[in-house]
Amino acid sequence: MAEQTAGLTSFIHLVETIADNKYVLGDRLVEVGVSGPNLEATLAAIAMAQGELGHARLLYNWSADLKGVKKADVKDQSGKALPNAVKVNNWITLIASLYATNAAIDLVLKAVSESEHAKVASRVQKLINEQKEHIIYARGWAKQLLNDKGAVPAKFKEALNEAIPEAGEWLKSVEAQTEIVEEGYMSKTVSLYEAFKAEVEQLTTPALVSTN
Amino acid sequence: MSVKTKQRTTFDVFTRIERGDDLIHIGTVEAETAELAKVYAAYTYDEEDWVEMCVVDRAQLDWVRKPKGLFAGKGA
Repeated sequence: MAEQTAGLTSFIHLVETIADNKYVLGDRLVEVGVSGPNLEATLAAIAMAQGELGHARLLYNWSADLKGVKKADVKDQSGKALPNAVKVNNWITLIASLYATNAAIDLVLKAVSESEHAKVASRVQKLINEQKEHIIYARGWAKQLLNDKGAVPAKFKEALNEAIPEAGEWLKSVEAQTEIVEEGYMSKTVSLYEAFKAEVEQLTTPALVSTN
Repeated sequence: MSVKTKQRTTFDVFTRIERGDDLIHIGTVEAETAELAKVYAAYTYDEEDWVEMCVVDRAQLDWVRKPKGLFAGKGA
């Protein structure tokens, strides 16, 4: 087994955190997405669940490779998923969590794709390409729910105000692990948190959704 | 509380299986925006590894000729 530097240990933890989030989102997309508001949205949710679970499998296997251990069957997430994603129980919380979590993961994966290690960079490129549609879907639905009628927009803003700060805090914690950047597993071109704030502001005004 | 989706539009879905093949109409999706229509089309019609796929808002089609109703002559 290869000796683990501090940077590698933190990077493995990061890979497992993303895998856990994708595992949980895949599970929620099936559980909640199957009763989506219309047929197309439901079909897309189930197809995306397959994508998220496929990404989780790939990332768990990658983590095992990095640790130099045998790949094991994954029966459940390892406890690193964002709590907000775990407690998704309806369409509104699903879209809020899908949007916030995937937007944050996308920024991390893009930073990893600019890693100094060619093998590390190449492993995430396919994931980034495949999750583009997941983000377009979540953003599209988020815009719709914000402009819906009745109690839906307020409920959705409430869900976003829980999901977005949590994802923001996670990005701050990733940035605080400077050893990941120092050992070249991730580029330090832009602040992940600032980029996330900019993405969220595109969706809605800062007055409506808190990023703090 | 139920989510009421806003007015949905019909988008026709066109694909090309391989380079040089004809662009063929394979179906439709109903979506609230063109962005969502693209996502829905990609996930709904994934039976082939299409080289091209596009969606067209049906309201944007300029018709040259349309079939008349079967019973138009009888005032139906």
